[in-house]
Amino acid sequence: MKRVQPAAVLIVVLPILVFFVSLGVGAFPITPGQLGRALLSPLFPSLAAGLPEAAREIIFGIRLPRLLLALLAGAGLAVSGASLQALFKNPLVNEFTLGISSGAAFGASLSLVFLGSRVPPQFLAFAFAVGAVLIVLAVARSSDSPIVTLLLTGVIVSAFFSALLSLVEFFASPYALQSLFYWLMGNLSSSGWGPLALSLPLMAAGIAGLILMRWRLNVLSMSEEEAGALGVNVRREKLLVVGLATLITAAAVSVAGIIGWVGLIVPHLVRMMVGPDNRRVVPLSAALGAAFLMLADDLAKTLASSFEIPVGIFTSLIGIPFFIFLLRRSKRVWS
Amino acid sequence: MSILVSGLTFRYKHFTLSVPELEIASGRLTAIVGPNGAGKTTLLKCLSGILPVPRGTVTLDGRDIAALTAGERAKRLAYVPQEHASAFNYSVRDFVLMGRAAFVPLFSVPSAEDIRAAEESLAFIGLGLDAGRPYGQLSSGERRRVLIARALAQRPEILVLDEPTTFLDPRHETELMEIARALSAAERKTVLVTLHDLDLAVKYADILIFLKEGRIVASGPPGEILTEGLLETVYEIKMSIFRHEGRTFVVK
Repeated sequence: MKRVQPAAVLIVVLPILVFFVSLGVGAFPITPGQLGRALLSPLFPSLAAGLPEAAREIIFGIRLPRLLLALLAGAGLAVSGASLQALFKNPLVNEFTLGISSGAAFGASLSLVFLGSRVPPQFLAFAFAVGAVLIVLAVARSSDSPIVTLLLTGVIVSAFFSALLSLVEFFASPYALQSLFYWLMGNLSSSGWGPLALSLPLMAAGIAGLILMRWRLNVLSMSEEEAGALGVNVRREKLLVVGLATLITAAAVSVAGIIGWVGLIVPHLVRMMVGPDNRRVVPLSAALGAAFLMLADDLAKTLASSFEIPVGIFTSLIGIPFFIFLLRRSKRVWS
Repeated sequence: MSILVSGLTFRYKHFTLSVPELEIASGRLTAIVGPNGAGKTTLLKCLSGILPVPRGTVTLDGRDIAALTAGERAKRLAYVPQEHASAFNYSVRDFVLMGRAAFVPLFSVPSAEDIRAAEESLAFIGLGLDAGRPYGQLSSGERRRVLIARALAQRPEILVLDEPTTFLDPRHETELMEIARALSAAERKTVLVTLHDLDLAVKYADILIFLKEGRIVASGPPGEILTEGLLETVYEIKMSIFRHEGRTFVVK
């Protein structure tokens, strides 16, 4: 007897529509007919006849990997944000406020500049993201007002890793610096499937884990004492949620750089539409986050004709005004 | 299911709670009373396994509460806090369903049976019809009842309620204590409450435990242990006890 809300249906359908529309978006013109034939050609080879080879190459070699990255990074960042907000019982918490993003960005750039392309940047990204979030959690734990300390420590730890990142930039060669700089602004234009081979499965696994834990997040959003009395091993499950969110963020940051604000605005929009129950909020955040980042990337690709604007700039330009709106609104509830 | 305490000592800054021996009887309503700062809530949390006991043991039907996992404990004993505050305004139905956490596997959602258990608990406390309302919109009396419903969804044998009647008007106070009494008398659950109001304690409790400065001064059925001398010792003011038509009244 569950009610199906129209808003929920819309959010689920949206990423599917955006996915197919986005495959047609880009500098090289591809008609919907060509797109349909190309997509079905692996199943029906006869459809490939008469299709320009370049069209197939662009769809499968360039647009599809990029779109899957946008889909999974958008879904992943939104799901991490929703989960961390539930876990820390605060609507402003996300992978940025806990230092995860800065830690991952530092780790990935360290790897890219000093270890080169032989070592996937995901390893150091994850290691430093875990380091950053553990520092934040440890400091907040020993405080009387954990949530205020958590947010403040997050800011400080982020600043610390940003400083370390500047140090890496300082020592990087001019060529490495340029690509580092472009990547850090948040950028989905990786070259083909190769760099994504590790990040896409990691993000998918993290998203699946958090979606499976969606109801548990309701219970974990109670005070630690309450959740413990309800039968939850709070310490273990908290580390699990933070671990999955860190995995997703590190995997996203190491290929796409810093894409801000998705984890903040998407879960809030979803809660405004369907209420706070994480059984809905977490999976719908995945869907809306995916649609949001795919659309933002379409804009990034098409607004200027001769160059691409990093997508992270768009998500920030949309996210920051929304964040200010949230702060004003939340003043009434959280003082 | 009974709770057995032996050799319990709990120190917090300048306060020491010391309970050499105590049994919370199975299927009865026991009330812990005493002045502010006597250690009522601390004792309650020690007995519920929420505060780890540094010295001594607390056992539930012979099993050390410290050796139970959180899930095993929650299936035996439910703790109802005085207040609940959340950043998220869940509906009453979703809120009560959280009582099933010990029954739902980590990577899963509540089953049809879990949902049924939550609905039965809501019906028991008389809020079955408005389960779609957000918790934040309830009156304080309704909130207390919803907290109890969540505890009942755990299907526990022991219910522990911390100051369940504070800030409630007389009607809601009575409603709440009637629920507590029904749970012990009709459902045969072990019910343990802390109470400020002596009249309520005397009226509803099968067993009273008087606590002062971290020690148990007296315990037993109200009819046997309640004297003006005891009240003066515990509260340090003079109070009178009147008995009328089988009922006992305490006048301050």
